[in-house]
Amino acid sequence: MSKIVGSRISDHGSRIAAAALGGWLATAGAAELRIGLSADVTTMDPHFVAAQPNLTAQHHVFEPLLHVDERGRPVPVLATWRNPDPLTWEFTLRKGVKFHDGAELTTEDVAFSLERPFTIKGSPGGFTMYVRPIVAREIVDRYTIRLKTAAPYGAIPQDLAEVMIVSKRIAQGASSADFDSGKAAVGTGPYKLVRFARGSRIELARHDPYWGGKLPWDKVTLTILPSDPVRTAALLSGELDAIEHVPTADLARLKKNPNLRLAQAVSWRTIFLHVDQSRDRPPGVLSRAGKPLDRNPLKDVRVRRALSKAINRQAIAERVMEGLARPAASVVSPSVFGHDPALKPEPYDPDGAKKLLAEAGYPDGFGLTIATPNNRYINDEQVAQTVAQMLARVGIATKVEAMPLSVYFGRARNKEFGVALLGWGSLAADLALRSLAATANPDKGYGAWNWGGHSNPKLDQLVERSLGTVDPTQREALAREAAALAAAGVAFIPLHYQVVTWAMKNTLSYQARTDEFTFAHHFKPR
Amino acid sequence: MFMQPAQATSGQIFVDYARDRVAVVAVVVLCLILSVAVFAPVVSPQNPYNLAQLDILDSKLAPGAKASAGFTYWLGSDEQGRDMYSAILYGLRTSLAVGAVSTLVALALGMAIGLISAYAGGWLDSLLMRLVDLQLSFPSILIALVLLAVVGQGVDKIVIALILVQWAYYARTVRGAALVEKRKEYVDAARVMAFSNPRIVFRHILPNVLPPLIVVATVQIAHAIALEATLSFLGLGMPITEPSLGLLISNGFAHLLSGRYWISFFPGVALLITIVAINLVGDRLRDVLNPRLASHYGA
Repeated sequence: MSKIVGSRISDHGSRIAAAALGGWLATAGAAELRIGLSADVTTMDPHFVAAQPNLTAQHHVFEPLLHVDERGRPVPVLATWRNPDPLTWEFTLRKGVKFHDGAELTTEDVAFSLERPFTIKGSPGGFTMYVRPIVAREIVDRYTIRLKTAAPYGAIPQDLAEVMIVSKRIAQGASSADFDSGKAAVGTGPYKLVRFARGSRIELARHDPYWGGKLPWDKVTLTILPSDPVRTAALLSGELDAIEHVPTADLARLKKNPNLRLAQAVSWRTIFLHVDQSRDRPPGVLSRAGKPLDRNPLKDVRVRRALSKAINRQAIAERVMEGLARPAASVVSPSVFGHDPALKPEPYDPDGAKKLLAEAGYPDGFGLTIATPNNRYINDEQVAQTVAQMLARVGIATKVEAMPLSVYFGRARNKEFGVALLGWGSLAADLALRSLAATANPDKGYGAWNWGGHSNPKLDQLVERSLGTVDPTQREALAREAAALAAAGVAFIPLHYQVVTWAMKNTLSYQARTDEFTFAHHFKPR
Repeated sequence: MFMQPAQATSGQIFVDYARDRVAVVAVVVLCLILSVAVFAPVVSPQNPYNLAQLDILDSKLAPGAKASAGFTYWLGSDEQGRDMYSAILYGLRTSLAVGAVSTLVALALGMAIGLISAYAGGWLDSLLMRLVDLQLSFPSILIALVLLAVVGQGVDKIVIALILVQWAYYARTVRGAALVEKRKEYVDAARVMAFSNPRIVFRHILPNVLPPLIVVATVQIAHAIALEATLSFLGLGMPITEPSLGLLISNGFAHLLSGRYWISFFPGVALLITIVAINLVGDRLRDVLNPRLASHYGA
């Protein structure tokens, strides 16, 4: 490792290299790894849509400047960084990093990649939010680039962890279709794209020489298997070496199988209910008899807390999720930046819930409809049904409306739901709150996913101060304070943190990642 | 009434039907299924559609386990703590009601269109029959899927979807039969007596095209139930808190590898028995009502 790149990157790199070498020694000859993914990859263009299934595949071919480790903390990948002043982020590239076509990575490619998201047309949700805070890109030399923000902004590392670096020479003018065909899918990542068959599989071949050292697998196949039993069956039959997102129903059986191993971690994803607290007549919020109410009961914080108290989170975690969840207290899960261990999940207290409802003027309850996707989060529609039966017990006549994700997000954007289930994975509490609980402000990019319409100026200020703090320690304290304030105002009702599980042949090992990513190059032969 | 001389009486049909033992068993089974479906609220220990009666702590129990409410889960419980036995009875109720209602409406609609088409002839006939051709050239599951994706979910929408995919079968059947009847003397006689067109179509031709229609309808009910189950299985049918048989089977799909067979197995058996029984009855009716297969009343 070069001295200029710094000691942190050197440690990281040599660890990977050592592990990779060990793996290589253990598997002589051409090694292939076949992984079953749980969601479709819609494109190989890394700047088209910020969706995790796509990023999972793209991380094999491309790399960001920095990413996060298994616990969700930022680590250098292509560059190290420092703040000469609170408005400047200086990134120093690792030297000698080669693209798949043999060209060396330079700051020109970085500057291009950070601008490219703005040129993407027709994206259902692109990457501009991650690069918008950067107001100037100043190339110092071949390996040094300075990024400027207009105001101090502490979340640059988390934001840039999402943005892949592409080759300027190749990606200039390239369309998303060029990435899918493989023509423009040239990155610095550990694997080269051999074939992208949408909806079916992605074939990858080892990139030599990879800066991270020798890789354990010569060939990698990512097979798309959204149906849970099918994915499990493919692993059991030996058709696959590993699968992500082990379905809860099959967990016990896989655990007992001596030929298989599991890897588990509490995910960064929090599952929660957005409750409409801004409109007078939110859809589905009615009297028990189905008549319109004269006011929206969910505007009353006591009613929101009553709903929260009526939910037996432990029962959901144990029964519906079969242990693959932890009761949630906060907007982010325990390993995420800004999680406050002092926040405790709302205890199950149906009598307290009834009392609060009576206090708020609803002794006989009311009616509501929970909307939920049925193909996105672990057991999503089952969770919504269980919440419905728990709410029914405190007198709230609850219906469930389940639909596929493609329909769900469109209808949510049209504000068709009064109560809606959502899952959110974030690298920091202040970032999550900015999207989920801050007062909607499209110009600032605040409240983009605040479906409930929660609005608390004090919370907005705290989130803004937290994000404007470059020092991580100070920022984390502010982020925690904001998370506690959102919880006190029941901005939304947290349900659980998902536990994410990988299953693999017992000749393999995988370091379970809190961010749920499945990386072939992190699977090691044992 | 101007009836065909060869028309069998209902008594003859009954006697003829009863000659096939299997078909008799099928009728008995079907009646049994119908009665448990109708009396589901009385004979089931739990109302599986009332969320307040479900307890998540009773979920996924094996057949024979005791519920916290006191009764026994003879067929086990599903992932929400629903009693499978009660859920199957209620599911049958939904499936049969959806199948029967959609078939009856589709029958009425298809019959009217088929009769008009046959009797009017000319450009109207061509237009209607090309519409039928168009409809029949698409698989019914495809039409139903597209429709539900556009209009959304719910019992009413399922029924509408099933009507829209079924009417063409009836229209085609009725038109064929009516064209034959139209050329018979009794229709000419009615015309000579200056009866109005609607009267000739509905009072004279209609009763004579009913037998083939009844056969198609029984087969189509089974088809409608299976289609509803398929749509529910795919997650486009009934609301998840009010599962029909298809949705119950679909819920159990996730547990196929985990050994909890009862979540899909028992609803699957119930669906199978229902559809087989209806088809057996339909087959026998076809044999009895089809003059070409009948031996003792001429044609």
